[in-house]
Parts: sequence; C-alpha cells; structure tokens
Amino acid sequence: MTKVVGKPLKRKEDPKLITGNGQFTDDIKLTGMLYMAVKRSQHAHARIKRISVDAALKLPGVVAVYTGKDVQDKIKPIRSIWLVPGCDLIAKDRVPLAVDKVNYTGEAVAVVIAESRYLASDALDLIDVVYEELPAVVHQEAAIEGSAPVIYNDVPGNVAFTWKAGEVPEEVFANAEVVVKQRFYEQRVAANPMETRGAVAQYNPGSGELTLWCTSQNPHIHRLQYSEALGISETKLRIIAPDVGGGFGAKIAVYTEEALAAFAAMDLKQPVKWIEDRQEHFLATSHARDQVITTELAGTKDGKILAIRTRNVASLGAYLSTMGAGVPTIDFGLMVTGAYTIPYAQAETIGVYTNTTPTDAYRGAGKPEASYQIERIVSLFAEKIGMDPVEVRRKNLVQKGSFPYTNPMGCNYDSGDYQKVLEQALEAAGYAGLRKEQEEARKNGRLLGIGISTYVELCGLGPSAVAGAIGFGGGLYENCTVRVHPSGKVTVLTGASPHGQGEGTTFAQVVAEKFGIPIEDVELFHGDTHMISMGWGTYGSRTTPVAGGALAIAADRVIEKAIKIAAHELEVSPEELKFEDGAFMVKGDPDKKRTFKEIAWSANNAWNLPAGVEPALEGQCFFDPPDFVYPFGAHICVVEVDPDTGVVDLKKYVSVDDVGRILNPLIVEGQVHGGLAQGIGQALWEQTVYSEKGQLLSGTFMDYAMPKAKFFPMIESSFVESPSPVNPLGAKGVGETGTTAAPSAVVNAVMDALKPYGVVDLEMPLTPEKVWKAIQKGRAVK
Amino acid sequence: MTKKWNVEVKVNGRVKRAEVEPRLLLVHLLRDEFNLTGTHIGCDTSQCGACTVMMDGKAVKSCTVLAVQADGAEIQTVEGLGTVDQLHPIQAGFWEKHGLQCGFCTPGIMMAVNGLLQDNLNPSEAEIRDALDGVICRCTGYQFIVKAVQQAAETIRNSQQQSQVVPAEGGSV
Amino acid sequence: MRIEYSYTFDLPKDTVWRYIQDDRVLRSSLPGCQTFEEMPSGIYAAELGLNTGPVKGLFSAEVQQVDQIPPTYYRLLVKGKGKPGEIDAVADMILEEAEEAEGGTKITCVAEIEVTGVLASVGQRVMVGVAKVILGQFFKAAEKEMQNEI
Ligand code: FES
Ligand code: FES
Repeated sequence: MTKVVGKPLKRKEDPKLITGNGQFTDDIKLTGMLYMAVKRSQHAHARIKRISVDAALKLPGVVAVYTGKDVQDKIKPIRSIWLVPGCDLIAKDRVPLAVDKVNYTGEAVAVVIAESRYLASDALDLIDVVYEELPAVVHQEAAIEGSAPVIYNDVPGNVAFTWKAGEVPEEVFANAEVVVKQRFYEQRVAANPMETRGAVAQYNPGSGELTLWCTSQNPHIHRLQYSEALGISETKLRIIAPDVGGGFGAKIAVYTEEALAAFAAMDLKQPVKWIEDRQEHFLATSHARDQVITTELAGTKDGKILAIRTRNVASLGAYLSTMGAGVPTIDFGLMVTGAYTIPYAQAETIGVYTNTTPTDAYRGAGKPEASYQIERIVSLFAEKIGMDPVEVRRKNLVQKGSFPYTNPMGCNYDSGDYQKVLEQALEAAGYAGLRKEQEEARKNGRLLGIGISTYVELCGLGPSAVAGAIGFGGGLYENCTVRVHPSGKVTVLTGASPHGQGEGTTFAQVVAEKFGIPIEDVELFHGDTHMISMGWGTYGSRTTPVAGGALAIAADRVIEKAIKIAAHELEVSPEELKFEDGAFMVKGDPDKKRTFKEIAWSANNAWNLPAGVEPALEGQCFFDPPDFVYPFGAHICVVEVDPDTGVVDLKKYVSVDDVGRILNPLIVEGQVHGGLAQGIGQALWEQTVYSEKGQLLSGTFMDYAMPKAKFFPMIESSFVESPSPVNPLGAKGVGETGTTAAPSAVVNAVMDALKPYGVVDLEMPLTPEKVWKAIQKGRAVK
Repeated sequence: MTKKWNVEVKVNGRVKRAEVEPRLLLVHLLRDEFNLTGTHIGCDTSQCGACTVMMDGKAVKSCTVLAVQADGAEIQTVEGLGTVDQLHPIQAGFWEKHGLQCGFCTPGIMMAVNGLLQDNLNPSEAEIRDALDGVICRCTGYQFIVKAVQQAAETIRNSQQQSQVVPAEGGSV
Repeated sequence: MRIEYSYTFDLPKDTVWRYIQDDRVLRSSLPGCQTFEEMPSGIYAAELGLNTGPVKGLFSAEVQQVDQIPPTYYRLLVKGKGKPGEIDAVADMILEEAEEAEGGTKITCVAEIEVTGVLASVGQRVMVGVAKVILGQFFKAAEKEMQNEI
C-alpha cells in the first residue's frame, strides 16, 4: 500500500496561493457591483438623537443610505446560537443597525452604498449623527458594582448569567494543609486574521436566489442565521466561503454587516461588496478572552492537589455574540482541573455586559483561559510548598493506565501517556541542566526563568447530543462525501470549512492511501452551502477528528461498494477479495484483479452491476463522534529578563504534544508554531485596550502589538502519538494547542525569573514596563 | 468631480494604462483596475506588508504609494514572480518548507523577501527575521517562513554558481 | 489623557493676562481658526481647520473660559467635533513670572483630554505630541498678536 498518511507532504493548496491565484472575498468582482461602507458610533454608550443622511445622499455616486430605522423591520437581530442552559441567561442580540442607542464604540449606525469604495467612504463623513452621551462601563468588575451604569433595563447589574458547575464540599478547603488563591486576568485580545471580514452579495430578482460570498469559518451556520435574519429560505440562500485568510475564531461569529450587504443587494438589485478595513476590524469583529478568574487550590504539603475552585467574571461585550456565552462557561468551566487527577472542582462564571465590542471564540476559546489559571496556580502551589513545579505535576498528572479518565466535571479524557510526554519535554529542554544554569545565572544577578505548562484541552467538537444538552443551537457532527469520478479521480466534499489548516492535503492523503491512488487524484471541495450537505464548519480543532472521521468512513463505504462490484466482475464472492495498493485481488490468486480505476469506470457506467447495487461510486458519512478529543502536551519555556529594561527575551521554547495520530507532520508542526506565536503573543505583547469612557485605544497595528518574526527563537517541537479511540483516524486536533499551552508556560517562566524580587503574579501581557516596575518594587522591598 | 490623471505603468513586463483619481492607491490600481488580486490589503496603516510589490526594483508597500506616483514605474507583483510550472525559488521555498497557511500574507511576504535577497543572498536567521519586520503573518509563527527564505536563498546561490560555471545555461532567476 | 505644556512669553504677566483671553487675539492665533464668535451664553463658537497628524479637517468647537483668578489662573473648556472624532478638553492655565527670562511670563497648561473615534483608536498614541504642537503654534501666534496689540 502506498503510505502517504503520516508523510510531510507539500500542500496541494499552495500553488495557487503562492502564485497570487487565490480567490479571497475582496478578489471577487461582479458586473455592476456597488460598495458598502459602514458609519460607526464614536461613543461607547449614547442615545441617538438624530441622523441626517441628506448630504450623503446628494454626493454623486451614492446610491443609497440605510439607517437603523430603515432596516429594523427588514432584517431581524442576529441571534446568539449558544444559549447555555441553567444559568438564567438573558441574551441581547446584535441588531443590524443601532436605532435608538449605541452600546459600544464602533457599533454600526448607518451604511452607505455607492459606486466605488472611495465614494462610499467619502459619504460616511457626510452623515451627521447627533448623540446624547451616556455613562459607559468598560470593565466587567466595575459593571457588576451596584453603582455602575446599566446598559439594558431588563438586565439588572449588567449580569447576563451566572453559571455554575461542580461542587467542592466546604470542608475540603477548610481542612486543607495548603490553600493557594490567586486572581488572574486573561486580558482582552483580538484574533486579527490577516484578511479582515468581508462580503459580496448578489441577488437574482428572477429566481429570488441570494448568493453571499463571505469570510466564514462555517458557511452552514451563516446560512442558518442569515436565512432567519433576512427571511430567505435556505434553498434560496447560498453562502460561499471562498479562500479565507485565517479566522482563529473571529470568523465563526455571525455578524450584521454581511446581512446588510445582502439586504442592500436585494433592495437595489445590484451586487454589493463590503470589505472591512483594519480599523473597523478592531472595532467590529469580535474580541476575545477578557475574563477575570480567581482560582483557589486546596492541596497537601507533599504536593497532592485536592480541589480547584474558580470564579470567572467574563466580559461579553455589549451583545451576546454567536458563541459568546459558551466560551467562558462550558469551554472554560469543564476544564478547570487541567491534566490532573483532582477529586473536587467547582466553577462559577458570571457573564457581564459591558460597553465594549462583543467577545467570542478565539483560538482555543475558553480552554486557554482554563489552562492558564490551572497551570499558573499549580506553579504557585509548587512554589508555596517548596517543590519543583515539575515534581508537583508528576505527582498529579492523570496516570497512564487510567484512560479514559473522567474529570470532576464529567469530561472523559480519551487517551495518552502524560508522563512520557512530560519526560520527553524535560529531556528535550535539558531541564536539569537548565536549573543549574539558572542557579549560576542568579549568582551573577541574571534573571533566568524556566516555565512549564502541562496542558490538556477539550476539542474536536463534538457529539451532537452533548451540543444539544449544553444549549448549542445546532449539531456538531460533520459530513464528508467521497465522490469517485469515472476516471478514478476523486472529489471530497466536506461541511468543514478549512482556511489555512491544510485539509486539502491531509484529507487527500487519507483518501489516496485508502484507495491506493496518487494524492494528485484527490481534490477537496468545501465552503459552499448549495453543494454541500449540512455541516458545521471549522473551529474547535474539529476538522480532522470529526470531518476526518466522516471522511474515513465515507471512503470505507466506497471501498465496500467497489469490492462488491469487483467481486461481481471477477465472479468471486466479496469475501474472496482483498484490496491492496489500489487493486481488488482474489486472495491467493493476485493476478485475478481489478484496479480501483477500473471499478470507478464500471461503477459509473453501470453496464454490469451486481444485483441490488446502485450505479456510480460515491460514499457519504455524517459522523457524529461519540465524545470529544483531548490533546495533551508539555511545553517548556526559558526566558531571560533584563533587570534594567524589563524586556523579556525568549531564549528557548520546547513543545511536546500528543495530538493523536498525525496525518502530515509538516502541517501539524506549522499549526503548533502558529498557535504558539499567538499564545506567546498574548503572554507578552497583545492587548486590546479601552479608555475609561469606552474608546478603543488599540485600534491599529501601530497600537496592538502583533507578534513579529524577530520576537521568536526557533521553536523546538516534537510529538507523541496516542491515537484517540473516539474517531476512525485517531486524531485529536492540533490547532489550539499553542494558544492553550503558551501563555502559562511563558508567564510561569517570567515569574520564575523574577523570583529573586518576590514577584508572584503579573497580568498579561508582560510588557517591559510592567516587568520593570515589578523589579523596581521588588528592589525597594529588598 | 476631481480631475483624473493618466498613469502608465509597466506591470510584470506589460505596459498598462489607467485614468485615476489622484488619491487612488497603487494597491487599488493593481487590484481593482488591473485585476491583479494577488496583492492583498491587510491594514490601513502600512504595518502588515500584505501589499508589498517591487517598484523599480525595490520592495514597496503599495498601500503607501499613490497610483500617480507610480506613473512610469516598473512594477512586479506576485503574479509576475513565477508560474505554477516555473516557480520562482522564493515561491518554491515557501511551498517546500510550508511557509504559508491561509496564504493571505504570502504574496506580500514573498515580495518583501525578494527585496531582502536582492541585497543579501546569504542572510543569517537573525537577518531574515529582521527583514521580516515590516510584514505580519498571523498563521505560521514565522518559523517556516524563515526556513523558506533560507531554502530560497540557497537555491538562488546555487543557480548563480552554476550559471557562472556554465554561462550558456543561464539562471532563470 | 493628561498633558502638560509650558510656554514662556517675552511679555509681562499683566499683558499676557489681558490678551490671552481676548477674542481678537484668540481668533487670529488659534491654529487654522476660520470663525470665532461669542454666543449669547458667553461661550465661543469656533471653527478650526486643523492639520496635525490624525487631527485633520474642520473642527467645530465650543470654547469657554471660566474660574478666572486674575492674573494667574483660568480654566479653559473646549468641546470639539470633527470628522475623525470628538475632543473634550479641560485645561488649567497657570500664569507665573518666568524664572529664566526677566519680565517674561510662563504659562503652563495642564489639560485632561478625552477623544473619541479615530482620534482615539488611531490618534491617541500621538495625541499628546499633537496637542503640544498645536498649543505651541497657538502660544507663539498669540505672543505675536500681543506684541502687535501693544
Ligand atoms: S496593506 Fe499595505 S502594509 Fe498593510
Ligand atoms: S499564512 Fe495566513 S497570515 Fe500568513
């Protein structure tokens, strides 16, 4: 059999991208196309007194201007699809355009449709909006104070929900030998894919069909939401996600601008394009994290962890975004115990509305936050009892023989050998040597720090029954169709919607190996709701475990059928055949055979099929995984802090991850690097900042510190493969490992470096200023 | 109505003309007028480098150049770098070393790398990382971009050496 | 954000005090000032064409001078609105005899400024610098005006 699974093959999707032949949303140009620009609120919280659009309408080239009043009866609010149950959730849906009141800086108040993008943006300046400013509340802890301004009259105290899971008996903490408590702030960040959002809408007034190309990670979810908001049947609404320039969660959410472009295209009967610029992106595309997490750990003096209790005050922003409620509750709360055998756990999350851009998923969504607090508190615990942080982890990690391990919240960690992964990471980093080096360095006043993170994350979303139980407004199965053409070439269709993750290659590897055909013969097609059966998209590291599961089964169904046809042609029973290297051979008589190509031809011609076998050769599977998958890893970070400037120098970063079976090591390593850059970015540089009045202060790449190439050393990554038992490929998902592991590894390292100054915790990002100040404070105390 | 200007630029070896508003950016001229959509736009403050093209032999961010400033210039975009059948060593390097994921930043980054390799065919890792300071990639974490650049530099060096030994064959670079 | 800016006039304190709040002086020395009129409420309505960094375009502003303690202190309230956003500034203006220049007057402006829109998201990083440039232009022009007046 041609072995291609597990090989570091070059990607099939690259030739078009490296020659400039990708087709991203902004690359689409249609005859008669108009351009939309969005007038946005300058205030975080204000009543709209008046909007004058006359001057804008008079500008030559302006075709239409719509305000909230114009569209409020035509476009319904966009509902959040994750209505977490049992927490008295009050969902505030995004309205297409604000009508009476704006609730965050950047909220859309009007749109202009004009003949060119320049004209549309000129016209924005001619729209005059008169506001009456209201006091704004930006930070969630302030928002739940009694004295805080209330954003919605029917949401007292700005509290959208209070969610609880698990329980720790009071005596566990009362009687514990050691209790460690710490408040952590997972700062607000922005996903910032390099391609901003955008949409092109085309309406056919004759057929009533609306085609909407948009930057989506999950076109079927967009269809579900927009068909409801716009009142168009799913049969008439075609969502196409063309090439998408990264998403990282920001393109899961269903926003209003795309619906407005669609509405305008229908209203004006001309195609309409809207492309978000970067400043708009910072204002209007969902932000993430922004959770104040207080964690308590109860343990013994010899390093056993007994209980974890968390309280998370999460900022939802001004509206409940698509998955806004699920991220700080289910995604966070179920994983607060991390990779450790901890008998008791309790998690409480308070979701709070604030006058800020709504928050939603960002690479990892809830798991990075869960991992951060547990990995930090475990290191603080080690510190407190005077034990090496590695030792504490060794003592508490889930043991090899105990999989599936059910954590106190009921999650079943699927498989692994956590100790082996940890030891491999220690070995790769030269841990013992590093500690010696650190000792030497400290003697010379150098601040060397070693940080470790042994994270686990829940991904591969997920069983649909669980989705229903946790209030997710949809299924989480995935589909694949494997379509064999008469020539033996294969098209794979999937409801997942990759946008850089490389499934065009990895899925082709799986099919090529299964069918014994060249990888060149297999093409993946995705991102078009008219062509693809119901699916749920790409996020939550679900594409390989779930869509890949559907792929493997669908391909097996093809083989099953092909065997019947081959047996019929060879006049043997199917049991007498074996399928190897692309040929159906009679066992014991390998010369009697049919190739995969031959069967593709005869199946599609259907001249001579066995009784009961339908023509053509196609397999489809809707795979609903029995459970989630749980990648695990051990990351070690070494930093040196300059005591004079507070600059953190990343000296070394070692990652060892168990992401289950690896289909293409090159692609998997690329995923790890990308995730790490974002995770390290959160730890050290990135932050979305608001002024007290709710003005966004980090609204450009000049102000929001995106990681650059020169910030990083060469990452040393390696892998351990424990196949997951919950899907046919044994894959666990890799996309979110970096963002889940890195923040705590880096912060643990910096805190370790600052130990001589008695620094216990600093809020991310660990900017030179913050670190320098901590050193000064430490010096003063000394 | 603002007065329109005639511009003439040589793009990827072909002379192209357009009548443009004086405020039109080069990147919009390339994308919207000439349909060369391989050059992308990732920001509006000239930080990301997704729009990088070669202008008169130098890598420039085409979102910071007015179309009228490019009048008479020679422009090379990603479409002029190489074709699928005849990839430029930089393109080949990015493909070989997995230097791209979503591919949105890639054309601009490759053009920026083109600028680097013109000046320095033997860049160290640090020099490569420094040269990438004007571009942002959110997907790759840059490591494989660095490897791609190293590989491209090596290919170009080798082909230059060869072409020195056997001048008849000539480097295609 | 908070800014502090000082400028030393080569003029005695009384003169500076007399003219620094004078509408004629203000009209001709406010950068890009196109109109400057006193409204019945005692508030001045001004239109300023500014062009410094992100602070670009026509701003309509309301200017108010209050809490005067002659000849050493007054408070300046400015509310401005332009395409790139809104500005809300409260400035304490302190006049004192200049130490370094005999017979001169040092004016110190300590202002708390709030901005919205693009001014906030893009401009805030450079806003302190921009504000100082604008103040510098203003004081310089005002000094010239005062010298003409005397
Ligand atoms: S688009 Fe030109 S630098 Fe970002
Ligand atoms: S490959 Fe996606 S931004 Fe660089």
